[in-house]
Amino acid sequence: MDIYAILSQILVGLSRTVILFIVSSGLSLILGVLRIPNVAHGSLYMIGAYAAYSICRYLGGDSGFWLAIFGAPLFVALISFIAERSLFQFLYEREHLMLLLLTFGISLIFGDLVKMVWGGEYKTVPIPKVLQGYVTLFKNLNLPLYNAFLLLVGPVVAVLLWLFVNKTKMGKIARASAVDREMVGACGINVSWVFGLTFVVGCFLAGLGGALVAPTISVTLGMDHSLIMESFLIVIIGGLGNIWGALLGALIFGLTQSLGILIWPKFGIVLPYAAVVLVLLFKPKGLLKSTW
Amino acid sequence: MKKKVVLFFVFAFGILTLLPSQSLSQKTIKVGIVDTYTGPPTTFTFDVRDGFDLAVREINKAGGVMGRTIEYTTRDEKFKPDVGLAMAKELLMKEKVDILMGTINSATALAISDLAKKEKVPFFVTFAKSEKITGEQGHRYVFGISENTEMAGRAAAFALSKMPYTKYWIAGDDYEYGHSIANAVWRHLTKLNPKVTKIGETWWKVGEADFTPYITQILAAKPDFIIVATGGAAMVNFQRAAKATGLAEKIPFYQHTAIEHSVLMPQGLDAPEGVYGTCNYFFYYPDTKENRAFVDQFRKAYNRYPKIGALYGYVTAKLIAEGFKKAKSFDIEKFIDAVEGMVIDSPVGKLELRKCDHQLALPMYFGRTKKVGGWEFLIATDIQTIPSKDYMPSCEEILRLRRK
Repeated sequence: MDIYAILSQILVGLSRTVILFIVSSGLSLILGVLRIPNVAHGSLYMIGAYAAYSICRYLGGDSGFWLAIFGAPLFVALISFIAERSLFQFLYEREHLMLLLLTFGISLIFGDLVKMVWGGEYKTVPIPKVLQGYVTLFKNLNLPLYNAFLLLVGPVVAVLLWLFVNKTKMGKIARASAVDREMVGACGINVSWVFGLTFVVGCFLAGLGGALVAPTISVTLGMDHSLIMESFLIVIIGGLGNIWGALLGALIFGLTQSLGILIWPKFGIVLPYAAVVLVLLFKPKGLLKSTW
Repeated sequence: MKKKVVLFFVFAFGILTLLPSQSLSQKTIKVGIVDTYTGPPTTFTFDVRDGFDLAVREINKAGGVMGRTIEYTTRDEKFKPDVGLAMAKELLMKEKVDILMGTINSATALAISDLAKKEKVPFFVTFAKSEKITGEQGHRYVFGISENTEMAGRAAAFALSKMPYTKYWIAGDDYEYGHSIANAVWRHLTKLNPKVTKIGETWWKVGEADFTPYITQILAAKPDFIIVATGGAAMVNFQRAAKATGLAEKIPFYQHTAIEHSVLMPQGLDAPEGVYGTCNYFFYYPDTKENRAFVDQFRKAYNRYPKIGALYGYVTAKLIAEGFKKAKSFDIEKFIDAVEGMVIDSPVGKLELRKCDHQLALPMYFGRTKKVGGWEFLIATDIQTIPSKDYMPSCEEILRLRRK
């Protein structure tokens, strides 16, 4: 096996990891603080991609794309804010099963709404001019510039998220609420709003993932299904509610996937799932400390 | 999901019992269309419905078929064979349709075909690509309009065998359609050009969105040519990844229907140039009076260019009308005898509905994508027409298949 092929495959795998990490970290945040297994997270990712399409379409050109990267997640955040205030906030005290059913229902509704608003045809979001083309690495193997851009975005998002969770007052309160909601409430903090904002931040990340992935794929109905599955697996192997766990999980998932394709093409798509099984055999609670 | 289906049936049943049965008049020819009207396949199926509708309006305006008008009802099978079959039954029993038509889903098409055989009702399969429909499992009551995977594979092999490439790579969706197309191309290509060798294969899961890792793998193996056996959204995804990674400039590749504009239009001018593909229809080719007239009418009626499905829908309506006229009767058995081997006019020229397997003999176009000034998306150029006799299996082959 060609060492250069492996190296470039690792880079491609890492760029896929970035998307998985961004989406799963949002899922993990919501799971860790609010204890909601948010099945609708995938639908929000899909809405992020469609919103990015609409923004690019109406603004046109490269500026459309850069605005879409921020605009689409904000739109998703707005939707999630409405959902949280009108539905979720009344159910926090209920069982997980109730929340699971609610989010499942919402994901079905979102799926239908997307179809009504954007229709059944494939949509594509153009890659901005500066990021078109590829860089040739190691002999003749190419890395698309857009994937290289994703490799830069990933660490930035990870650091910002870490700062938010660990260094801001809001993050500290959110972490405290995850551990002991009543005590935080007794300190005079409005926990309901803390939960609401955390939910919105998590959903913002789903929208961001969707907007970032849109230029590399065709935006289509059903793109939420496979992603939500992968995200849950990532969050589970990383440790529920642990942001760094989400990063680790995404790395394992993304890299086994891309290296599997190169090394063992016939069974490449099975490898990430085999890795999940392996992790859970030895560490049933996930690799890093779970907040549950 | 189940709950949705049950609710749907309760709702549908409620409506049906409330409406007065429309078949009382018996002065119409009723066609029941079962197709996927939800989800990604609508890119293709709405065109079938609208092409059919256009022809029906034309026929009815000209006085109908021997004094009777054609009337149709549609049902959405949501890409689920069990739902589709139930709907076909409902159309037969409740709506009393004379003819069934649809669908893009091969599994549903095979299920309805079986029903059509038992009930002795003609069933026109408009878009499903399984070669079993008019091949192995063909019978007196089923008709194939679109080409199937076997025919597409032969057409591609015919064109590819004339090219200098020898080291091939095969990649595709790991399910029935992907494997059937790839097998058909490869089987016939090795027969036509014994010099070709396969240096590797890649199969990805259906619905795969990001093809970059697969392309890196293929680039590392350095084949001369790639046969990419994908369908639906994956067509667009693969083309985009091929452009972003530079694969499209380095290694030529072929995808069935890659040059069709439901694949090229959404990509605008960002689609890669030089992609080879096969397809039955373009709104800009053949540039004949008949095709231009069809495109104009379609645009006037629906405000968009007709895609491949529009041709399928349009010729199906023509076959139905001409069949009854030729039979000079509304008797179904006489109708079938009449349409067997019948030749009709269409936007792409005269078309024969083959007698031996009930498959429509459409010409196949082989071409490659190119940016051409004046268009907002890529179009196919260097188009070669592969006549149906060069890519359709012979009647002997079909009969041998059916005897097995």
